[in-house]
Amino acid sequence: MSEDAATSGVDTGFVDARVGHEGTRIDLDDVSKRYRIGDVEVTALDGINLHVDEAAFVAIVGPSGCGKTTLLNMIGALDTPTSGSIRVGGVDVGGASLADRAVLRRHTVSFIFQTFNLFPGLTAVENVQFGADVAQRSNPSGRATRALEQVGLAERNRHFPHQLSGGEQQRVAIARALATDNPILLADEPTGELDFRTGVQILQVLEAQARAGMTVLVVTHNREIARVADRVIELSSGRIVSDGPPVGGKADIGDLQW
Amino acid sequence: MVTATRGRLGGLWLRWSWRDFRSRWVAVVAIALVLAIGTGVYAGLSSTGEWRRQSNDASFGALSMHDLRVTLSPGTFTEQGGLVEAVRGLDAASSVAAVVERLVVDSQVDTGPISGTESVLVPARLVGMTFGLAQPVDSVWVRDGTAPVDDQSELGSAVMEAKFADLRGLPTQGSVTVTGGHTVPYSGLGTAPEDFFYEGPEGTIAAEGELAILYLPLAAAQDVSGHPGMVNDIVLTIVDGTDRDVVEAELAAVISDLGLSGVVSTRDDADAVRVLYEDIDNDQQFWNALSALVLAAAALAAFNLISRIVEAQRREIGIGMALGVPRRQLAIRPLMIGAQVAILGTIAGLGVGLVVGNAFGALLESVRPLPEHRTPFQFGVYAQAAALGVVIPLAASALPVWRALQVEPIEAIRTGHLTAKTSRLTSWTGHIRLPGSTMTQMPIRNVMRTPRRAILTAVGVGAAITALVAVLGMVDSFARANQQANDEFTKGNPDRVVVQLDTFYPNESAAVTAIRDAQSVDHIDAGLRLPTTALAEDPDANLDLLVEFVDLDQAVWTPTIEEVSTPTDTSRAGILLARKAADDLAVDVGGTITLRHPIRTDVGGFSLAETEFVVRGIHANPIRTFAFMDLDDASQFGLEGAVNVVQAYPTEDASKSDVQRAVFGLAGVTSSQPIARISEAIDEALDQFLSFLFVTAAAVMTLALLIAFNSTRITVEERQREHATMRAFGLPVRTVIGVVVKESVIIGIVATGIGIGGGLIFLRWMLASLARTTLPDVGIDTYVSPTTIGVAAIVGIIAVAAAPLFLARRLQHMNLPDTLRVME
Repeated sequence: MSEDAATSGVDTGFVDARVGHEGTRIDLDDVSKRYRIGDVEVTALDGINLHVDEAAFVAIVGPSGCGKTTLLNMIGALDTPTSGSIRVGGVDVGGASLADRAVLRRHTVSFIFQTFNLFPGLTAVENVQFGADVAQRSNPSGRATRALEQVGLAERNRHFPHQLSGGEQQRVAIARALATDNPILLADEPTGELDFRTGVQILQVLEAQARAGMTVLVVTHNREIARVADRVIELSSGRIVSDGPPVGGKADIGDLQW
Repeated sequence: MVTATRGRLGGLWLRWSWRDFRSRWVAVVAIALVLAIGTGVYAGLSSTGEWRRQSNDASFGALSMHDLRVTLSPGTFTEQGGLVEAVRGLDAASSVAAVVERLVVDSQVDTGPISGTESVLVPARLVGMTFGLAQPVDSVWVRDGTAPVDDQSELGSAVMEAKFADLRGLPTQGSVTVTGGHTVPYSGLGTAPEDFFYEGPEGTIAAEGELAILYLPLAAAQDVSGHPGMVNDIVLTIVDGTDRDVVEAELAAVISDLGLSGVVSTRDDADAVRVLYEDIDNDQQFWNALSALVLAAAALAAFNLISRIVEAQRREIGIGMALGVPRRQLAIRPLMIGAQVAILGTIAGLGVGLVVGNAFGALLESVRPLPEHRTPFQFGVYAQAAALGVVIPLAASALPVWRALQVEPIEAIRTGHLTAKTSRLTSWTGHIRLPGSTMTQMPIRNVMRTPRRAILTAVGVGAAITALVAVLGMVDSFARANQQANDEFTKGNPDRVVVQLDTFYPNESAAVTAIRDAQSVDHIDAGLRLPTTALAEDPDANLDLLVEFVDLDQAVWTPTIEEVSTPTDTSRAGILLARKAADDLAVDVGGTITLRHPIRTDVGGFSLAETEFVVRGIHANPIRTFAFMDLDDASQFGLEGAVNVVQAYPTEDASKSDVQRAVFGLAGVTSSQPIARISEAIDEALDQFLSFLFVTAAAVMTLALLIAFNSTRITVEERQREHATMRAFGLPVRTVIGVVVKESVIIGIVATGIGIGGGLIFLRWMLASLARTTLPDVGIDTYVSPTTIGVAAIVGIIAVAAAPLFLARRLQHMNLPDTLRVME
């Protein structure tokens, strides 16, 4: 946690009292998620057991519809399991109230969406500052500027989303997540809509965050991207079919090709 | 093959449209209601003229309103039967369908205590007539109770004029005392066609409550009035298609031949006919303007709301374009939304029109009781509004489709295409640094991002507020004018009683002295009241002015002078005019006007003279008719020392009713009217307008709330992905709603500003142009009360801002994962 965050009365209070005692550890025990679509019951996740320690770069891979995004949503407290237990930073996501889950999202996890979900009415820097404002970090404006510098968009800070390319928009979304200074970063297909070169830039940023002590979970269907992660979890039909370091060992980002 | 494909696709579009409807039926129904209120109010208000015309025709017809009337001069009577015989002897006798002899005499009525309150003592008119004739003329419609059954009864039951009874709170059956101490029982309340509208006695203002009319069997009237076997009035109807002028001329000749003096008048000369028909067109212009405003507000709002719903389909239209779907087919689905609104709006408009029509019909009935009230649904009028109600939704749907079709398919299907469509203003505003956190800035940024949409929404809500402010402002302006008149009349001593004398008396005459010495009268101010005509360049613009001569130095009550000039020519008398009169005569203070007025001649009679007077000032009474001069200037009229009106003030322990009773019956007194009754009378005159305005205001209020709610609802739908993102970042629902509320407040403030500004402009125009012909005698200044501003703000800001609160549940239960993945 940064110095700014540590000196902020609100976030230190929350983190210390409800998350901090178990850090940013993520524990899923026998988690299932079932939806009912009409008369048909769809099992999105089926008996997932997963434990992620702090400061890890984890890739979740698998084909479309295997449950990757559902898993990420539940870790991010956007959704709750039908059965099983999810604890994020010591908070029982399944048992938490809506308000408590909102607090968890505010102070513990940050999202990077495949479709960016930037606010079209706000400029790049304002979108990023939004993240810091929501997390109630000190000096949100300065934090936003620094986050944009981190993703290489300092020059474009006064542009609106529609004035940015897809890659730039995604980098703004990453900067927004970084500006929250939350310890867990959840990225859903962060390179899915990007060209190779931009995708690489994004991966470099994400990896740097993991190196800096954040827990970064990246959902991707691109196995090549997964090679740069510390750990790769493969899902198929809602189950974990493999979990471990990348096959063939961890690769440098510069070696990637897709 | 192609046709079969089109057929299959056509079916698909229809199914798809049906699904669209099912998913947004609330919005479609709500917008349809907006249109329905617009078209319904338009149909209702625009129909009043035709309803009044039909009701008048039917009512005058039902009671066989006379075509011709012979009224013998005051004090002239003739043997019963003589006038009928004369009519039958006319060359044009075959043109006469029916003839009825009557005895019409002035009297006084003492109602005795009414419901424990003070009694009413007023001038009266006794109309002796024959009830139950097979071929009646000017028969009496008995609204409540029963009509006299024995027309030969010497003192049988009578019918009391219903409007007088209503205004004075008389029961359906009872008895009154008339001049001579006769007690006349009445068995019902009703009216004759010539009395559908009537004026009070001389010296009273627009006061049907100031003159009691009793319809009695002829013999009873003869008995009560002391004119046994005599008549002084005949009314007759003529056969359809015959020449009324011929009969009229022959009648005048035969009356003269009989050695009688009298006046032959036609149906069109009757005040009731003149007022009931003449006002219709003037009033209708007023209501037409108002109804057009309401319809325009509804149309504008519906256009905006539908456009925004259809805008949401633009990306899907783009996908269709990319897939090569013909443009005509692409237009089906959006146009179906317009069609759904059009169909529902048209049907609901019919219902609203009927409801509004019933409400207005009931109001018409209460304001002016007539035997026949016709309020048939005016399909022609409604069709005009309904046509707009069909065109607007379709146009509103077509415009976004047209805009979508101008975009390259690749652009249209791009994620974020819609959000990317922003204005230059947005780019420019990116460089403006706003204070506060991003949550504080977001509402302002959102409004600036889509200025067209924001302005359209504000204009939509603002249009309804314009109508609301215009309608309520109208009520305010009327009420204020009335209050000004009331304040002016009652200032100093509200118990003042105006006593009108039957002619001019010397100040020290017995008639004036009797009033001065009457019981309950503390003191009096003697004055003069003279009907005059102010001459304008255009004779049609001449004004009737009632000039009152007041001792401006000594009298207890003197007019408030708002604007005054220093006289430079003291040889000419000065006159104080109402602001409205001065404006209508295009004269300023210090200028001159010419009055055509009676002037007493040396031989004691009167002749007409035209004299120029200096406009000495403007008095505070908004009623145009009143003008004032100093009593000293009566000499200009040859009336120095003369009195025909007396202001009587009660003693400390007496009431104004006591004064009325004390002066009633004194020689020379024709009427006495508490000054406070004048403002009540003005209130009554404005009742029709106000009650209609209140109904309209209620409809407009509903309209404004519906528009406000719908606009916000659509805004929330449009921004749901942003709201989901906020929540994904852990913002509580209340904070998200707070952002929406703030955005709504900004729109609401703009809308309220537009509405109040537009309302004021419209109100000013209505009062300056239409009220000039509808209510020509009252100077009504544009006035919007703080209450109206408050109501506009409540509807425009608070209701718009509060609308998102109704959507809190939807935000609370929003499926975040799904919404976040939604592509707009």
